[in-house]
Amino acid sequence: MKRLLRSFLWLILPSAAVFVFAVLLLLSLYRMFDVQGAMRTDAEQNMLWVLHQSQVAALRLIETVAMAELGEAGPEELALRRDLLIGRFNLLNDGPQRRFIEQIGYGEELDQLAATLAAIAPMIDDFTLGKGAHLREALAPFPAFLGRAANKAMVTEWNELGGRLEDYRTQLNQNILSLIGVMVAGGILAITLVLSLRQSRKHNYMLRREQDFSGLLISSSGEGILAVDRDARCSLWNSAMATMVGAPAEHAVGHRLSEIAGFFDVEPVRQGLANALAGKTSQLTVQPLFSRDHDRPIYVDLRFFPMRHDDAILGAILFMYDASDRHATQQKDAEDRERLEELVAARTRDLDSALKREKSAADLYRSFAAMVSHQFRTPLAVADSALQRLIRRGPRADSNEMTERAARARSAIAGLTRLVDSTLAAARLDAGQIGARREECDLNEIVRIVCNRWRNAAPYRRIETRPTAPGQANVICDSAHVEQVLENLLSNADKYAATQSAISVTLHGDDESMFCDVHNTGATIPPEDRERIFERNYRGANSEGAAGTGLGLFMARSLARMQGGDVTFLPGCEDVTFRLTLLRFLEPQG
Amino acid sequence: MQIHAHAVVSGLMLLGTMAMAEQTDIILDVTGQIEDGPAALDREALQSLPPVTIETTTVVTDNVHSFTGFLMRDLLEDLDAQGTHVVATALNDYVVDIPMSDFYDYGVIVAYEMNGVALTRDDKGPLWIVYPRDDHKELQDIRYDYRWVWQLDRLDVR
Repeated sequence: MKRLLRSFLWLILPSAAVFVFAVLLLLSLYRMFDVQGAMRTDAEQNMLWVLHQSQVAALRLIETVAMAELGEAGPEELALRRDLLIGRFNLLNDGPQRRFIEQIGYGEELDQLAATLAAIAPMIDDFTLGKGAHLREALAPFPAFLGRAANKAMVTEWNELGGRLEDYRTQLNQNILSLIGVMVAGGILAITLVLSLRQSRKHNYMLRREQDFSGLLISSSGEGILAVDRDARCSLWNSAMATMVGAPAEHAVGHRLSEIAGFFDVEPVRQGLANALAGKTSQLTVQPLFSRDHDRPIYVDLRFFPMRHDDAILGAILFMYDASDRHATQQKDAEDRERLEELVAARTRDLDSALKREKSAADLYRSFAAMVSHQFRTPLAVADSALQRLIRRGPRADSNEMTERAARARSAIAGLTRLVDSTLAAARLDAGQIGARREECDLNEIVRIVCNRWRNAAPYRRIETRPTAPGQANVICDSAHVEQVLENLLSNADKYAATQSAISVTLHGDDESMFCDVHNTGATIPPEDRERIFERNYRGANSEGAAGTGLGLFMARSLARMQGGDVTFLPGCEDVTFRLTLLRFLEPQG
Repeated sequence: MQIHAHAVVSGLMLLGTMAMAEQTDIILDVTGQIEDGPAALDREALQSLPPVTIETTTVVTDNVHSFTGFLMRDLLEDLDAQGTHVVATALNDYVVDIPMSDFYDYGVIVAYEMNGVALTRDDKGPLWIVYPRDDHKELQDIRYDYRWVWQLDRLDVR
C-alpha cells in the first residue's frame, strides 16, 4: 500500500511539475509578446522636439525681422524664415501632431496662431521698416505658445512614458515570477529526473548483473545450450554447443538450425524441436553427432524444452550433453559381453570336439577292437588249426602235407601281417608321419602297373583297363600313394564284385582334373552308408562276411586328398563305382 | 548607361554653372567627396534624373502618400560620390548622418512631389528624403525615422 502510494507520488509530482512548467511558460510567453507589441519602435512620437523646432523657427523669424529692421537681413532671408515657420505650423497641423496638440488642449490656440501667421505672411513679402514693430508684436505669442506647448508635451510624454515603463515593469515582474515558477518546476523535474535516472541505473546495473550472471552460467555450462525462436532461428548458442557441433556462435545465431548442422535436420531432433515449440518437453539419448572437425561422431543426450513467457511460447531451448563416455562404456560392455560369449562358445566348441574326439576315440577303439577280434582272430585261427593238424599228424604227415599245411599257416600269418601293416599305415597317417611328394606322373602308367600286379595276385578276376591316349593323363601326385589308393580301390572292388564279373578301370578327364573310375558289378551301397564308408574302421552293411579292417577307403581318400585330389563314390549307377580325382599337370605357360 | 550618366553629369554641371551665374533656384548643394564638387543643383537639374514614385506612410502624416523624386543613389552616382556616409542638412539647420549603404539597401528617394503636387519650402519642401517605409519592415523604426530630412538643403559626402 505504502509502495503504491510512493509510486503514485512519483508519478503525480513530475506530472504536476510538467503542467505547472508548461502553464507558466505559456503565460510568460504571452506577456513577452504583449511587451514586445507595446515596445514597437515605429510608433514613437517626438512632440517635444517638434515643438522645440517650431519655437526655434518662430524665434528666428522674430530675430530676422529685427535684423531686417537694422538692415542686416534681406527679404530673401525673411521669406526663408517665414516659410520655415509656416512649414512648422503645417507640420503641427498634420494628423498625428494635430491630434497630440488637441490631446493636450492647445488645438484652438494653434488654429488662432495659424490664422495670425497666414495674415502676417504677405507683410513679409513687402517688408518695410515701419512694419517691423508690428510684425514682432504679432509674432510675440508664437514662442510663448510653443514654449508652453513644449512644456505640456514634455509632461504628457513623460507621464505616458512613465505609465508605459510601469506597465513594462509590471509585466516583467510577472514574467520574472513566472520564470521563477518555471525554474522551480524545472528543478523539481530535474531532481525527479536525476532520481529516476539513479533508480533506473541501479535497476540497469542489477539487471546487467543478472544478465551477466545468466550469460556466465550459460557460457560456462559444460552442457551445450541453444535457444530458437518460433521460426526455429537460433537466438542463443553457448560455447559448449559451439565445441560440440563445431560451429562458432557468430555462425549460428540468427540462422536456421538446419543450416548450422545436418544433425538438427535428422528426424528425431526435428521432431523434438517441433514438440518443444508445441509446448511439449522431450528427450533423446545417445544420438550420434558428426561434427565438422572430427571423423568420429560424438554421442549426445538431448533435452527439449518449450520457452514460455506468460502463456505464449516464444521458442524452444535445447540442452545437449556429451554422452560419448557413457556410450563408449556401453559399447565396451557390449563388446566384452560378446567376446565372453564367443569365448564361452569357443570353449563349448572345444569341449564338444574334445568330447566328440573322445567319443570317436572310444568308437575307434571299440571298432578297432571288434575289427581286431574278428579279423585278427580268423587268420590266427587258420594258422593255429593248420599247425594243430600238423602236430596231430606228427610223423604220419608226408612232406607234401606238411608243406601244404605250413603254407596255409604262413598265408594266414601273411594276411595278419598285412592287416597289421595297414593298421600301422593308418596310425602313421593319423600321426601326420606320411608326407606326399607332388610331381608329374603318368596316370596311365600307374594304372597299368597296379592292374598287372593285381592280375598276377588274383588270376581268377578279370580286370579291364581303359586308359587315355598316351601323354594325355599327366597328373600331379606322389606315385607311391596313388598306387596304394588304386590297390585299395581294386581290393575293395574285388571283395564286393560278383563272382566271375569283371572290374573295369576307366581313365578320363576334363581341363583341370583326371578321373580314374573303378567299377564293379554287385549290390550298390545304400545311401545312408555312402559317406560313412570313408570313415575310419567303418564297415558297411554289405561287408558282413568279408575280410577287412574298414581302413581301405579311409586311407584311399586321405591319401588322395593329401595330393589335392579326392576319392568319391559315384551315385546314380546300378553298380558300384569309386572315382579317384587328381589334378592335371599343366605345362607352365611360356 | 555610362554614357548616359556622363551626359547627365555634364547636364548637371552645365545647369549648375548657369544657376551659379543667375544665383536663383538653387535648391540643393552637394559638397564633399564628389567629382568636380561642390555642386549646386536647381529643380530642373534634379528633375532630369530618372523619376521614381513610391507609395508609403510617414510618421508625421496620416494615410498613404505617393512621393515622386529621384533615387538618392542615382544622384550620388552621377556625381561620382565616394564616401561612407552623407551628412544631410535641412534649411532649419537640422543635421543628420545617413550611411551610404541606406541608399543601396533601400530605394531611398529625394522627393520633390507629394501626391502629384510639388513640395514647397513652407510645407516640407522643396526636397524631402523619403524611405520606402511600407516596403521594408526594418525601416519602421525611429532610428530610420530621423533620417527623413525634409526641407533638405545640403548634402555633404564623407
